[in-house]
Amino acid sequence: MRASLTLLAVTWLAARTAAAAEPPVRLVVKPLLCVIDKAEDSCNVTFDIRWKSVLPGEYCLNDEAVPAPLRCWPRALSGELQHRREVSEDFIFWLAPPAGIERAAEVKVEVLRVGSDDRRRERRTRHVWDVL
Amino acid sequence: MTIPRLQQLLAAAAVWVFAQASYAQTESPPTPPTTEAALPAPATVPPPTRPLPVERNWRFGIGLGYGMRTNPLVLSDDIPVIVDLDIAWFGKRWFFDNFDLGFQLADNRLFTANAVARVNSDRVFFGKTNIRYVNFTIAAGGDKLPIGGVPPPSDGPDNGPSFGGDEEEPQELKIPDRDYAIELGLEMLFGGEWGQATLRGFHDVSQTHEGFEISADYSYRWTRGRFSVSPTIGLAYKSDDLSNYYWGVHPKEAGLTLAPYEAEGGIDWEAGIRTSYYLTKSVRLAISADYERLHDSVATSPIVAEDHVIGYFAGVAWQF
Repeated sequence: MRASLTLLAVTWLAARTAAAAEPPVRLVVKPLLCVIDKAEDSCNVTFDIRWKSVLPGEYCLNDEAVPAPLRCWPRALSGELQHRREVSEDFIFWLAPPAGIERAAEVKVEVLRVGSDDRRRERRTRHVWDVL
Repeated sequence: MTIPRLQQLLAAAAVWVFAQASYAQTESPPTPPTTEAALPAPATVPPPTRPLPVERNWRFGIGLGYGMRTNPLVLSDDIPVIVDLDIAWFGKRWFFDNFDLGFQLADNRLFTANAVARVNSDRVFFGKTNIRYVNFTIAAGGDKLPIGGVPPPSDGPDNGPSFGGDEEEPQELKIPDRDYAIELGLEMLFGGEWGQATLRGFHDVSQTHEGFEISADYSYRWTRGRFSVSPTIGLAYKSDDLSNYYWGVHPKEAGLTLAPYEAEGGIDWEAGIRTSYYLTKSVRLAISADYERLHDSVATSPIVAEDHVIGYFAGVAWQF
């Protein structure tokens, strides 16, 4: 009897922990990194955006650079969107209820600039260990 | 101070004064602030264009992985590369770039000119050498044959090879010691959509080898998605004094085991490739390889076993 109660408690705790670890809304965006050479201003990326929610809800996908939502889904458990965008600096995609301020989930897309306009930073040394 | 050295210093001072004037003329004038309200509203929303972020003065990086640089010297070990540190600081004019200390003399649309002090790179191979003891047999006619040497002419009637004979005490075969040289020089950096090029001229100022080196290299970087590849080719002329100091066998060092050898100047060439796959903004996978061909007079030195140096590395690099 005592063993059964312990097993039940452990199972309940494990379920609670799993539920707590999983966010109610999960937003996945690919790719998360845009690499720009110094000769270029931006990169054109088609983002694959997918979200899932534990409970059905009305969510809108927002882009930091665009004032209006990119798309809204009425009472859905999941959604996906292919979104082509020119990227020149870090920005955030986020999901929020329509007219809601609080963000249900957000993802940061980063921009890495390779190279520098300062030619000194591009110089190569001839040291034996200089392999990078 | 000798007259030639004084002339060198005067020439360097003249270049510096010229470069100061050039720098002052080529600095771009301050741009007036743009009035965004005057611009017509675009039909579509482009990405917001803000000024590029100011680059930090410091640059710290570390590469962890496995690599090797071969050692062309006889009786030597290759140089393992497990950790590659990248430490640099760039001020407005002064900079420190992985033990190169530089001062920017001119910077304009066409080129950047720097005065740079550096440590010669040839010395590093002499830090990974071993000692071997060699037994000699006295050949017919009483000659002892050092390695790498040509048998001296014998006037005796019997010039054939000898086997056996009187054994001598084992002789030490050791690569001679060489010092680090501090070199001072000028470098011109060029860059554009066509790639990057460098011209460099360095002279020993530490009275170590008292020679000079002039080099040129070109590289081009392609970036596609997260992948970046950058091939490089380069040439370096090393003077008689520099080549002979590091790669020759000086009369005081010659003996039974090493024949005297005077290395002459010549042109080394190299080709390499560096690739990166960026995992995040600060972490990347890095693979690099390069091949350097030593010039003939160095390659035929009795202390040189290979006429080339091969380097490679594969690992993970962090940029902080």
